[in-house]
Amino acid sequence: MDTFALLLHGFDVALTPVNLMWALVGSVLGTAIGILPGIGPALTIALLLPVTVSVGPVSAFIMFAGVLYGAMYGGSTTSILINTPGEAGSMMTALEGNKMARAGRGAAALATAAIGSFVAGTIATLLLTFAAPVVAELAFLLKPADYFALTVLAFTSVAVVMGASRVRGFVSLFIGLALGLVGIDAMTGQPRMTFGIAALLDGVELTVVLVSLFAVGEILYVASRYTYGQDEIIPIKGKAFMTRDDWRRSWKPWLRGTAIGFPIGTIPGGGSEIPTMLSYTLEKKLARHKDEFGKGAIEGVAGPEAANNASAAGILVPLLTLGLPTSATAAILLAAFQNYGLQPGPFLFTSNPELVWGLIASLYIGNAMLLVLNLPLVGMWVRLLQIPRPQLYAGILVFAMIGIWGVSGSVFELGLMAALGMVGYAMRVYGFPIPPLLIGLILVPLAETQLRTALAAGQGRLSVLFDTPISVTFLSLAFLFLFLPVVLKRLKGGA
Amino acid sequence: MTLLRKGPWWLGLAVILMGAVCFYASTELAATAQYAAIGPGMFVAGVGLGLVGLGVLLLIQIARGEVFEPEEAENAAPGQPMDKRAFFTALLAAIVPALTIETLGLPLTAMLSFMLVARAFGSKRLVPDLAAGLVLGVASWFLFGKLGLQLGGFFPLAGM
Repeated sequence: MDTFALLLHGFDVALTPVNLMWALVGSVLGTAIGILPGIGPALTIALLLPVTVSVGPVSAFIMFAGVLYGAMYGGSTTSILINTPGEAGSMMTALEGNKMARAGRGAAALATAAIGSFVAGTIATLLLTFAAPVVAELAFLLKPADYFALTVLAFTSVAVVMGASRVRGFVSLFIGLALGLVGIDAMTGQPRMTFGIAALLDGVELTVVLVSLFAVGEILYVASRYTYGQDEIIPIKGKAFMTRDDWRRSWKPWLRGTAIGFPIGTIPGGGSEIPTMLSYTLEKKLARHKDEFGKGAIEGVAGPEAANNASAAGILVPLLTLGLPTSATAAILLAAFQNYGLQPGPFLFTSNPELVWGLIASLYIGNAMLLVLNLPLVGMWVRLLQIPRPQLYAGILVFAMIGIWGVSGSVFELGLMAALGMVGYAMRVYGFPIPPLLIGLILVPLAETQLRTALAAGQGRLSVLFDTPISVTFLSLAFLFLFLPVVLKRLKGGA
Repeated sequence: MTLLRKGPWWLGLAVILMGAVCFYASTELAATAQYAAIGPGMFVAGVGLGLVGLGVLLLIQIARGEVFEPEEAENAAPGQPMDKRAFFTALLAAIVPALTIETLGLPLTAMLSFMLVARAFGSKRLVPDLAAGLVLGVASWFLFGKLGLQLGGFFPLAGM
């Protein structure tokens, strides 16, 4: 129960000049890619993975944490100033924030978003500090059947939540599962689905798949349907920062947004879309000036922004304690851990306390840094949008190529990049969500190992999977998730 | 019935094909290491059957006239018809690295790919694009090389 002492030690680690520099690099990069189109936090971290060759794990994760939080700050900036939410979590911000900017209250919208993100990020990090070790303790109780049920829950929820259609979500998931099975079977050493290709013996790497689907797929898609009107950037008029009234109207939505975002972020499949939507709906219901909603109500920016950031910290709870990624970004973070030969899960807290607590401490530092980077410098950030699109996308492809070549050094994987890029293109055109594929790919070894262990222990009896109350609970939840879209549709109708 | 014929049938068929490939691969996995039917092929077979089932579901949806809404993306109009020239130019840019990296090396490959993507997006400035790609490639080659990445030769064909 020395969480506090451990956290202080974490600050010792994170506050060294070198690690502060990495936090700054991550925050700056994160904000930039949050603002730029075509590149999100998952892709950025995937492209940064090669640095794990020469940078220690603590520094690398401190940088990745900066990217993760920074991307959200950057996303809210573009939502407010040009009405293009870079990611699902900023959609609600754009609703009210852009209206505020049009009404000349852009500075107030940006401020409530940034301060709300800071407040939520800090509280959520605090919750993470105290929740994570407890969950990690509980994780020791999980038996193989429970772990398998947990992965089933993660799979189902991600496949259901992340797309327009359940069938397409599951297709994406199963393609990921199939790709994840390629290579040498860890339990028997037999090569599987390699079809005689030596390069496939090592399996298909998440980095390659993620970069190909996100970068190459996006480039092909945007190129084929390119429309470029100069984005209309709404200038920030005057110095009208938040007024006393703005503060009064913002602080409760910040807290409520945090309370919604964090727990949902910890749930597999919770993501950032549902909490921001819930927060928006709630604020609309509670608001005194209901008529302002749709015309630029500050509560509609403050709540969702806080929920968005809190859910990002929430995602770290299952990742660090159970080794269970629940979003594309979490999946790539898991891959980064594996690059270092680290396996997130209950043992990480005892085997690498320095890394875990350094990472958590760096989240506090990153948040403070981002607040400073974002509020006064917003004018500078927005200028990034002036990079001409042809050269921007060209640069993204070059970095994608370097990322894959640098990690694998294999021509085969460069060819795979083009092939998977086409898959990514088709997935975009026909509305197949990409995150389920990535999560299937990275979690299939865990799911399969636990399933086989559980079944072997039960001498092949399938009922062994339903033997413990925990596994039954997880499996029932997974089943219930199948009906979530109906509920969500109602919610969306109400928003 | 015209709607029926126009649907993206190939999507469902492709998913079924993937499932069939998985299932076929699972039958090749010898039962030697098996214990109570639990072997390396079990999960593969399950995933294969799952894909086949999903492919069938997809076909049923398509037969019923399911609408496939494209994803939203910045700088792209989802409803717009596909610009084939731009698509294939960009695709070529993605294929080039696998063909040239071992002979031309990273900097020149970056130059070519950069120029092709820029062209796909309508840039007409051939020389500046080539130059920008080359600068990016050279800078990355040195910088990432310093960080310890194995990026191959600078220009292998010339022995550099």
